[in-house]
Amino acid sequence: MLGFGGEREAVSKVGLTAADLAAARRREPAAVTRVYTAYAPALFRFFLAAVGDRHQAEDLTGNAFLSAIESLPRFRGPVEALGGWLFQIARHDLYDHRRRQARSRLEPLEDNLNEAAVAAGAEDPEELAMARLEGSRVLGALRQLSPDQREVLLLRMAGGLTAPEVAEILGKTTGAVKSLQFRGLASLARVLGLRSPEQAQERPYPSPDSGRLTSQEDEEG
Amino acid sequence: MHQPQPNRLHDELDALLDGRPVELTDELAPLVEAADALRLELSAHQLDPEVADRHLERVLGGSALVVPMPTPPRPNGWDLRRRVVAVALAAALVLVPATMASAAALPGQAMYPFKLAIEQLRLASVQWSPAREAGERTRVANERLNEVRDLYELRMYNQLPTAIRALNRAVLAAQVAVAEAREEGEAVSGLADELNRVVNAGVQVVTKVATAAATGSIVGLTGETAAEIQAAVQESPAVKPPPADPAAPPKGSGGTAAPPQPTSAPPPTQGPAPTTPPTQPTAPPTTNPPEPPSSQPPTTTTPPTTDEPPTTPTPPSTQPPDITATPGSIGFGVGGGEDKGGGGDKASHGNAPPTSAPPTTSP
Repeated sequence: MLGFGGEREAVSKVGLTAADLAAARRREPAAVTRVYTAYAPALFRFFLAAVGDRHQAEDLTGNAFLSAIESLPRFRGPVEALGGWLFQIARHDLYDHRRRQARSRLEPLEDNLNEAAVAAGAEDPEELAMARLEGSRVLGALRQLSPDQREVLLLRMAGGLTAPEVAEILGKTTGAVKSLQFRGLASLARVLGLRSPEQAQERPYPSPDSGRLTSQEDEEG
Repeated sequence: MHQPQPNRLHDELDALLDGRPVELTDELAPLVEAADALRLELSAHQLDPEVADRHLERVLGGSALVVPMPTPPRPNGWDLRRRVVAVALAAALVLVPATMASAAALPGQAMYPFKLAIEQLRLASVQWSPAREAGERTRVANERLNEVRDLYELRMYNQLPTAIRALNRAVLAAQVAVAEAREEGEAVSGLADELNRVVNAGVQVVTKVATAAATGSIVGLTGETAAEIQAAVQESPAVKPPPADPAAPPKGSGGTAAPPQPTSAPPPTQGPAPTTPPTQPTAPPTTNPPEPPSSQPPTTTTPPTTDEPPTTPTPPSTQPPDITATPGSIGFGVGGGEDKGGGGDKASHGNAPPTSAPPTTSP
């Protein structure tokens, strides 16, 4: 099993300190590179899972990081809060992107795969597409979750943020985030066929209906 | 059968996802497995190193334009507007009283440089319009005239040479500005009349001062100051009194110190002067100062206007102007200023337009 919060571990391995943060504010190349190395992969995965297109995810990552570096002098929090702040920017950028795109949150992966196969010069684009579709099955399953559940899971899994950090970004309580996380993973497991038969008989997982979730979260929050 | 509380399940799942030591129950196992699958899927997508380099290059490339110091938060629009209003209010609180206080300042007084600065600002603000500039320069000339008069009345004789020269420059600049405005097609006949009044009054005042300095009739005026006044008068052709009859030179020692030749005679034409006669005397006689080239036909009833080009270039007049007949009421309004910079430039173009010509009474 993979350890979660890997990106945060990567940050700790890089050893971002307050001095690094101060240097990044001054756009010292070494510090900016450290910050980028620490967070850009997570930002890219977050965007990729959200938009389903590699090139768009790359562009969004670059734009979000550039915005973050430009706004870094205004960031007053400790270095430990930098990740959450970066993903707040990323989330806003994602919303702007979606408004611009005015289309589904996840593009049809098949189209992207076909384009990628052609671009890669594969002899059998269908084979390549099938191979990647197997990998994209999980991402495809994300589309069946409610927007709140999907966002929580992306921030947790792709961003490597903790539940309290996600709660701060989304403006929810930690309990509500944990509830969304629980129900989102339950739905994902069901879609992926990971539920054990006895669990299916004993207690169905809650549907991803956002209305129900909201009412439960209110009780918990 | 005991069912764990939902919140407890949520907490346990969260702890498992964070790698904290929690017992993995059968109920949570598929959820953790789904999370692993999601994470595995996400981790398979790596950022292209070339893309990463491009991102970093983009970020660091822009850093060359940024001062490598922590920058304060940029004010938003509201803050910016508040700052502008605050600065404008502070400027108004300072400038308005200072402007009012400096309006009556005379050369040699503390507020006089401020007065000149305000004049320059006003001149700069109207340079987009030849007519407005001509009007502003006429007001400046009028103000210089008032200063000469006030200095004389207040017995501030030491400042008179400077004030007379400033009046000369202001008049010349105003004449050039009026001529340029007319060339631009602006209706400046009223301004030309006003400027004529200023010039005539200036000649009258300067004549009075020069006469008093030459005759030594001013109590407290030293010989040195009188000589400086005479020199200034000689260097101010625009307001210089006509030379007296050579047969009857003025008494007093002051007259001897004055150079016979005007040193600030208008240089050859550079600026536009549509009413200037095409053939101007290039070398004025040594005994007669160069008369402004707009010598009008002798008249005592109609003041000369800049709209009337001279028909023939007349030789320098030896007759003194009738300074008692034409000067109109000279306003003592606020404004005007010494012609430094632009005014001086205009004046230095020389070739005083005909508007500066005092009406002559030569037969």
